[in-house]
Amino acid sequence: MALIANIRYRQIVLLLAAGCVFFGPRLAHAADEKGELDAVAHTADGVYLDFAPFGAVELPRIFLRSDPWGLDVFPSTRSALLSERYVMEHEEDGHAEVLHGDALRDAIDHHEHLYAKPKPVQGTLVLDLSITRHLVFGVLAALIVVAIFLGLARRYRRPEDRVAAPRGIFQNMFEALVIFVRDEIAKPCVGPRYREFLPFLLTAFMFILCANLMGLAPYLGAATSNVAVTFTLAAFTFVAGQRKGTKAYWTHLFWPPGVPLPVKFILAPIELVSLIAKHFALALRLFANMMSGSLLILSLIGIIFTINVLFGSLAAALVAPVGVAFTLFITFIKIAVAFIHAFVFTLLSAIFFGMALEEEEHHEEETPAEEQPALAG
Amino acid sequence: MDIIVAQSLLEPNAGLIFYKVIVFALLLFVLGKYAWKPIVNALSEREETIDASLRKAEQALEEARQTGAKNEEARREAEENARRVLQDARAAAERVRAEELEKTRARIRQMQEQAQAEIEREKERALEELRDEVAGLAIRTAEQILEETLDADRHRKMVDRFIEQLPRN
Repeated sequence: MALIANIRYRQIVLLLAAGCVFFGPRLAHAADEKGELDAVAHTADGVYLDFAPFGAVELPRIFLRSDPWGLDVFPSTRSALLSERYVMEHEEDGHAEVLHGDALRDAIDHHEHLYAKPKPVQGTLVLDLSITRHLVFGVLAALIVVAIFLGLARRYRRPEDRVAAPRGIFQNMFEALVIFVRDEIAKPCVGPRYREFLPFLLTAFMFILCANLMGLAPYLGAATSNVAVTFTLAAFTFVAGQRKGTKAYWTHLFWPPGVPLPVKFILAPIELVSLIAKHFALALRLFANMMSGSLLILSLIGIIFTINVLFGSLAAALVAPVGVAFTLFITFIKIAVAFIHAFVFTLLSAIFFGMALEEEEHHEEETPAEEQPALAG
Repeated sequence: MDIIVAQSLLEPNAGLIFYKVIVFALLLFVLGKYAWKPIVNALSEREETIDASLRKAEQALEEARQTGAKNEEARREAEENARRVLQDARAAAERVRAEELEKTRARIRQMQEQAQAEIEREKERALEELRDEVAGLAIRTAEQILEETLDADRHRKMVDRFIEQLPRN
């Protein structure tokens, strides 16, 4: 009993400490110079890591430009602008103005350069390959996943360990996740060929889960709350699934059996659009859910500051406990959402794989086999 | 500025996609080769081992059950055998005893018969002797009485006739 009480006590203290660390920076960040909270800027991608109240770290800027072709690398946005090879525009009263000299320095002091889109003095910008905050978080999530599962894989190096019962929290916990993905997602949704897709499903699940949970950590964010990241993930799902598409699947898609010829020409584009829309929705669902959680928390905290501006500090002090309580509630929901959406993304991917692997079974009227490959291509 | 930033929420960043493709492809490769393969293989290996062990245990149990049943049957058979042997032996003993008894009885009967015959014979002889004795005795007595009246031959005839008239015993 004493042990249980002891553990509970320690857990509560840990939780409180984590809460302080979690809310500390957000609250500090919320009050920038103007006393305003920019929830969108915090949720959106950026070219800096925010360590408020200790300041921000600018990330390297990499630009690919043409006329002449070249790759320009700068350690930070500031140095890119100060080098005078890239300029930022300041928009005011409908006309853009390129900043130079003192005006530029002034803008940098107000952190305006972090939101600006630098343009090359010579040539045109082809691709902004700058390292962004969400890329850093994504890479970090990937590294964490790699570290965890390479560590787990090491547990099975010896043959006698492979058949032994799992030992310890680490092995049990992550083995349970692997088995969950295999038995609850891959096996029922993909079908008998699930082993081919298991590595992808496991990677997607673990990466998304890790990225989602990172969104709850102080100073970090969810890479999955970036639309580019989720589109990339969905694109991988698309490629992985279509690559293994069976003849029956492609036939069904472009030459639906059992319908009159004119209808086939109507159905094929519809099927194609629905196929792309499915993967598009896959990306948007994950992105929107992860982003909205982040926005919601910042907005709830922001209420306190908005009320402070509108009704004074007393009203703000009264609203603060409510805002924090709601934030705590939403944070718990976000923990659930992190797991749910990792699961949903992987589950839907598995279902799409299962569809791509469909075999002919229920179509009696099939078109001659010779016609199919040409259409499938 | 807010509008620009808000747009950036929904605007896919081409550079980020480029990096993300590389990162995720690398992640897929590294994990697929060095993590999922050993982990998934080990898990299925373990499952197979457990399944095999369970099956083996079940089999062993079934075997044990069969062996037990067989043993039970053998024991019952042995018991049956023993009982039959015992019964046979008892029957044999009974038979032997009965035979022995019969034999003994037969011998006794034989001995009785012999003894009876002997007695009969002895009696016959004794009677014979007695008859002779009685005849002689009578003759002598009659001689003494009728010393002179009768000769010896007439005497003998008379006595014999008398004896003939006597009851046999």
